[in-house]
Amino acid sequence: MLSWFSKIRTALMVFACTATPMSLTYADPDRIDPWSERAITEHLDQSSFTGVLSKEELQKLIDFGETLFAARFTSQDGAGRPMATQAIIPTKRKRLAPNTFQRTAGLDGNSCASCHNDPIMGGAGDFTTNVFVSEGFNNADFDTTDPQFSNERNSNHLFGSGLVELLAREMSADLQAIRKQALAAARSTGDEHRLRLETKGIRFGWITAQPDGLLELREIDGVDTDLVIRPFSQKGVMTSLRQFTVNALNHHHGMQPVERFGARWTGQTDFDEDGHGNEISVGDVSALVAWQATLAPPGAKTPQDERWRAAAEQGSNVFDSIGCGQCHVRALPLDSLVFDDPGKFDAAGTMRFAELEHPGAYDLGLMEWASELSKNAQGQVMVPLFGDLKRHKMTDRQIAAFGNELLSQRFVERAVFQTTELWGIASTAPYGHRGDMTTLDEVIKAHGGAGRKSRDAYIDLAAQDRSALIAFLKTLVIEE
Amino acid sequence: MTSLRKILLVSFSTVSLISAAEAENHLMPAMDIPLMQETALAAGIDHRYTGPWEYFVGGGVAVFDCNSDRLPDLVIAGGTSPTQLYINQSDTAGDLKFEVQASAIANSVSTGVTGLYPIDIDNDGMKDLVLLRVGENILLKGGPDCSFSKANKAFSFDGGRAWSTAFAATFEPDQSFATLAIGNYVDRSAAGSPWGTCHDNLLLRPGAGAKPNYAEPQMLAPGFCALSMLFTDWNRSGEPALRITNDRQYYRDGEEQLWRVSAGRPAKAYRKADGWKTVRIWGMGIAEADLDADGLPEYALTSMGDTKLQTLDEDADDTSPVYRDIAVEKGATAHRPYTGEDLKPSTGWHAEFDDINNDGRQDLFIAKGNVESMSDFAAFDPDNMLLAGYDGNFTEVGDVSGIALSRRGRGGAVVDLNMDGMLDLIVVNRDAPASLFRNLGAKSDHAPHPMGNWVQIELRQRGANRDAVGATINVKSGNETRVRKVQVGGGHASGHMGFVHVGTGVAERAEIRVKWPDGEWSAPYRVFANNFVVIEKGVDDAQYWYPPSNGK
Repeated sequence: MLSWFSKIRTALMVFACTATPMSLTYADPDRIDPWSERAITEHLDQSSFTGVLSKEELQKLIDFGETLFAARFTSQDGAGRPMATQAIIPTKRKRLAPNTFQRTAGLDGNSCASCHNDPIMGGAGDFTTNVFVSEGFNNADFDTTDPQFSNERNSNHLFGSGLVELLAREMSADLQAIRKQALAAARSTGDEHRLRLETKGIRFGWITAQPDGLLELREIDGVDTDLVIRPFSQKGVMTSLRQFTVNALNHHHGMQPVERFGARWTGQTDFDEDGHGNEISVGDVSALVAWQATLAPPGAKTPQDERWRAAAEQGSNVFDSIGCGQCHVRALPLDSLVFDDPGKFDAAGTMRFAELEHPGAYDLGLMEWASELSKNAQGQVMVPLFGDLKRHKMTDRQIAAFGNELLSQRFVERAVFQTTELWGIASTAPYGHRGDMTTLDEVIKAHGGAGRKSRDAYIDLAAQDRSALIAFLKTLVIEE
Repeated sequence: MTSLRKILLVSFSTVSLISAAEAENHLMPAMDIPLMQETALAAGIDHRYTGPWEYFVGGGVAVFDCNSDRLPDLVIAGGTSPTQLYINQSDTAGDLKFEVQASAIANSVSTGVTGLYPIDIDNDGMKDLVLLRVGENILLKGGPDCSFSKANKAFSFDGGRAWSTAFAATFEPDQSFATLAIGNYVDRSAAGSPWGTCHDNLLLRPGAGAKPNYAEPQMLAPGFCALSMLFTDWNRSGEPALRITNDRQYYRDGEEQLWRVSAGRPAKAYRKADGWKTVRIWGMGIAEADLDADGLPEYALTSMGDTKLQTLDEDADDTSPVYRDIAVEKGATAHRPYTGEDLKPSTGWHAEFDDINNDGRQDLFIAKGNVESMSDFAAFDPDNMLLAGYDGNFTEVGDVSGIALSRRGRGGAVVDLNMDGMLDLIVVNRDAPASLFRNLGAKSDHAPHPMGNWVQIELRQRGANRDAVGATINVKSGNETRVRKVQVGGGHASGHMGFVHVGTGVAERAEIRVKWPDGEWSAPYRVFANNFVVIEKGVDDAQYWYPPSNGK
């Protein structure tokens, strides 16, 4: 446990940086030696970057975020959570964790990059990087891979995630505007009013408003009842990169961000009782978000091999003809490339836009890769994610390979998953939410439920067409 | 004030002197402190509770929706001044606005009112209003668009001539209509009045028939000058008992009371032999909360001097209501003004638990104010806002939040008036303007900002007891369960019905289970935080409700 004086001194040092633009402050400058075993020698001050950042300011933030993403956190940084569980709500353990590291309940990674590294940092991971997702409330110390205690999940890649979050934000705003419209119409007419929930061409069912302001939720499809698109994780249950980052820092590393685990919500600066208070500053999380949000979106390479080129072209047609693109929508239109951080859809416990006097914003249009994004006739950026940011039930009575989880997650049923974005799929084998399918052919054949029709059509294709589809998908790469 | 700033201020003090304000601030907790903006006049509320000795007590407000828009409207007791209805026209998440509806409460009954409680007595879906008065009590039957008509005769209710100051209601098993309890104060006509002449109280059970019939009340004797009463399921039996807090200023050999109210049997007071300990306080108000979510409620009892905070003792069992006081260990005594120079004891009135800063923990509001000019008690006696911390202890933030006014508080309500998820506050003051505080959000160095997450829940059921009075609502997020009861009664002369507010802190979703008044548990309802949720018994899915997007 840090002495009271040490806590004060640390706090003073964090405070000292607030007046300096884009400032980094040493966690303890008197004690940082070149051979220090700390991974974090600096914390970032959130108030030092405000408004839409210039390219230089943004690059500094990104650079710091990259440092943090790659940092192998040590016990001297505050890695470890001996008296806190992996839960997203600060939750105390009843007794000391039996092990600091444990592949099941965590800690299960030294750095963010430990798992997100294939083909390069920020990428996905193979089966060895699987994590075991449990709520962390009951049986927080589970030491078994038995699926009754956790859902085993493969690591997703993060390329293009800033664009994904921007799409989700615009779609959430659209859906909530439809809700508002339905409510206003019902109130003004005195009759119930039913509207289709559709945004960017993606349909999320229907909503029915009553004249008294009540809303029927039963017909909502593929999105949470609050009409917030949560685009991250296999299930689509995380609202933002920021929320994901805060969750993951605690879960995987025992590095507890102040914005959720700090004294404001827990009454303690050292909630996990590892002797290190205020382990991750608000600015640190922002830097991690900035780095992830500005990762280039995966692209579609043009194979040098002529035969592959031809096959891919044919496969692209097959992709459409058998209906893959109904869920794996090739591209969704995006109005704005300005990424506010914090965003406006997070709930308390993740820093919110309205909590900061001058929130920062990152213009993704400043990134070199942005110029390569195509635009539609309306001037909207077409984000080529091959996804719909919608959840679907992926099993049926005959085809149930994706139904291998026993636990629902955050109100999402066990066999329901968000459509996997296919951009970068050629660089991120293995496949499936558990990372236990080694080929694209296997994972296509595992599509049941909402994907069943296309899956059956795929199986019914001539071998050459099936091969062509694979050839097409193999062009969707993360550039190294 | 963040903990960081707190730490900084402490550390700076080692090298330099700090101002008194800083000294006060650095004692502030790290949790969000709501910034409360007094806005009564601007909001259209210009109201005083006035009158002689009989109106030293009372001063209530009823908060409920009377025009079916789900926005809470206000009826404020005036004592010798008229009781007035204020229609809520607040902008959603915006300014508080009310429009007085002067003719809503008939002139013949609008004066002499000490307290008011809303309840749907006759199950017509519209809230009725119980007027406690100096003289005849009145049952006002609620009609459309905030219309009220006297229903004493229709409900065979004898309003009596007592000086009434407390009220509670419940729905007993197999009864179609509400059971009412009325608490009375000093019998002014008795020999030797006012000392030792407390009126008995009344329990009014509905008789048989198609409409409420309160022709045969039971006297709850002895009465000890009740100032608040509440039906409460103290032992998780499913059978609420009637807790009464009494004013020792006037009783002889009196005490706090708990009455067993078993269906079909006369109410019977718990005695020493039952484990009930004699507690004598200047009991003014009752607030209930299950602070540790064990199903056994805690009670705050306001008084002159120390506020009590009672929890069931380990010596208690299902039939022995043995309580111990934990106000000192929890920092909830609120025994003297927390600011100003007046160090004399406080006088506490309305008490109410709710999560004012949405951090997931129930805070305690207490209205304070000298009885009139009692020189042994503080003259400047600001209301309390005691925020509960992560460790369960309370910290006073009344002055920092902005509610420390020099007014003699009496009744009040902690309720979200502009439907932004943050609890606002109304306080009825004796011989002073009623206070209306808008909760602007967490105080910060710049603009106030959003606090924690929340849900607000409305229960509905068909038939009798449409508002599910007596239901228990469990809101579970992670390992934490937050418990609320739908109750009518308690506080000081004030009650509200409508959405039940639950702060959920950093939890962005919650699972709600309802124990309906008949004891049946609902299936879990999964809801996202920051929503108004309407749950109807027997219906599989909850519904969300949205306030008008542009106010009214």
